[in-house]
Amino acid sequence: MTISLSDPFSEEKLKAQEALYSVIDPELFVNVIDLGLIYDVAFDGDNIVVTMTLSTPHCPMGEAITNGVQNALEKVFPGKEIRIDLTFDPPWGFEMLTQEGRMQLGLK
Amino acid sequence: MADINIGKAPPNNAVLPFYATATIAFWALCLLLFFDAGNLTNHYFNPHLLAIVHTAALGWGTMVIFGAAHQLLPVICERDLFSPTIAAICWYTLTAGVALLIVAFYNFYTGWVMISGGTLIVLSACAYFINVLFTSHICIRYSVVKLFVVTSGAWLLFTAIAGLLLAINLRYPFFSKSHLEILKLHAHAGLAGWFLQLITGVSSKLVPMFLLGKSARQKLLLYACLFQNAGLLFFLLDGYFFGITAARVIIYVILVAAGIVCWLMYLYDAFRSRVRKNIDIQMKHTFISFLCLGAAILLIPVIVYAAGSRWAILYGALLFMGWITGIILGKTFKTLPFIVWNAHYKTLSGKVKVPLPKQLYSEVLVKWQFRLYIAAVILLCAGIVINATVIIRIASAIWIMVSSLYVINVMKVLLHKTKIVS
Repeated sequence: MTISLSDPFSEEKLKAQEALYSVIDPELFVNVIDLGLIYDVAFDGDNIVVTMTLSTPHCPMGEAITNGVQNALEKVFPGKEIRIDLTFDPPWGFEMLTQEGRMQLGLK
Repeated sequence: MADINIGKAPPNNAVLPFYATATIAFWALCLLLFFDAGNLTNHYFNPHLLAIVHTAALGWGTMVIFGAAHQLLPVICERDLFSPTIAAICWYTLTAGVALLIVAFYNFYTGWVMISGGTLIVLSACAYFINVLFTSHICIRYSVVKLFVVTSGAWLLFTAIAGLLLAINLRYPFFSKSHLEILKLHAHAGLAGWFLQLITGVSSKLVPMFLLGKSARQKLLLYACLFQNAGLLFFLLDGYFFGITAARVIIYVILVAAGIVCWLMYLYDAFRSRVRKNIDIQMKHTFISFLCLGAAILLIPVIVYAAGSRWAILYGALLFMGWITGIILGKTFKTLPFIVWNAHYKTLSGKVKVPLPKQLYSEVLVKWQFRLYIAAVILLCAGIVINATVIIRIASAIWIMVSSLYVINVMKVLLHKTKIVS
């Protein structure tokens, strides 16, 4: 997830990113941002659309992770309609891990 | 939510009763081993040893695998489980069948008790196979992993039917062939058909998933499937119609072993490219279990050419207590805490701070379980090789410790109460 400072919703996106740091993949113990699971968070009026993926299709923890994203955003954006668009295009890959995510997984 | 199906975990009653029952069966198995240690120095066809082997194969191995498979089929097939009700039927029939069969073997009641037990096991295998077939039938994509799950389910059904026929044959003899020769075919259909192929398929999905590794060498799995099935099929057909002969058995073993090598090469490829560098104790359990499988296969020429049944018993011990038990002891804590965690916390995630799945069990107990498991396997094998009942009994005492730690840890997970971390 990249946030451009010229984006009119950059402040909201930073707030969303901050909230999503608290959503942990229960198996990998790394948050969804550093895992690179969140592709985009789009703001449109009262709607927030999260485009995200999972580390594997039909991930056994998939429901817990998407629920976590939904709950975390509802907490910081009360009253907004949150929609999660799950995609496997592009599929998640190791290159999507942030530097912090790689460190947390024990990678150099 | 987009229309991509990320699947709903099957209801807990399709999974957890299997884990709970298998845990008790494992503990009972270790007690049986302790009290019947002397039987491991006798011929393998004796009532108490038959009871021990069926407790291991059905009450422990098959029971826990059924539970795990009901949870993992949706992951492998990327679709929901076909029928949780059939999964529940599977548990009732398997539990009742195992109970009847173990009592019948232990006391050698060759009549309705043994035949009813066998019939229930066949019904359970049928129910499981229906769920496998219909869940995989609606799979989006073809995969070799799915193929392994289907072929293993078919081999289980075949093994169970052969076992039932053997149970009938004990009371109302009708086989024109030797009962013991058919028993060998039944045992190997179960080991190389059901356990090996199920473990090959499921581990080829799970090990890369747990290690965050990948292998592009999918063809290795296809070769593994072909070799394993060809070797087993030739062995069964040849063994039934022409009788088991040493020279030809070695050819079939080489075929199955080639299939195992292809599978392990695939796993090694995924292991080398893994993102997750830390190898946890559960993966170490899996590694030791593979060593036991390798040792058992290397032992086959010795069983074929050497006299006495000690090597056959060592072979069985390596497979049931080393390989199958090892992989289950490790994989239980890679699956069960997540299943239970999902039931308690998936709706709370992101709302409040919740414990992690690994906090649902004791990692210290798993470490001790691993150490004691290695000691128990080594001592059990040593006791069988030197024909020393006292060593086998000491090993069995350690097995009781391993199973007790496992029971405590599994119950800790199963009886977990929802809590919020403050």
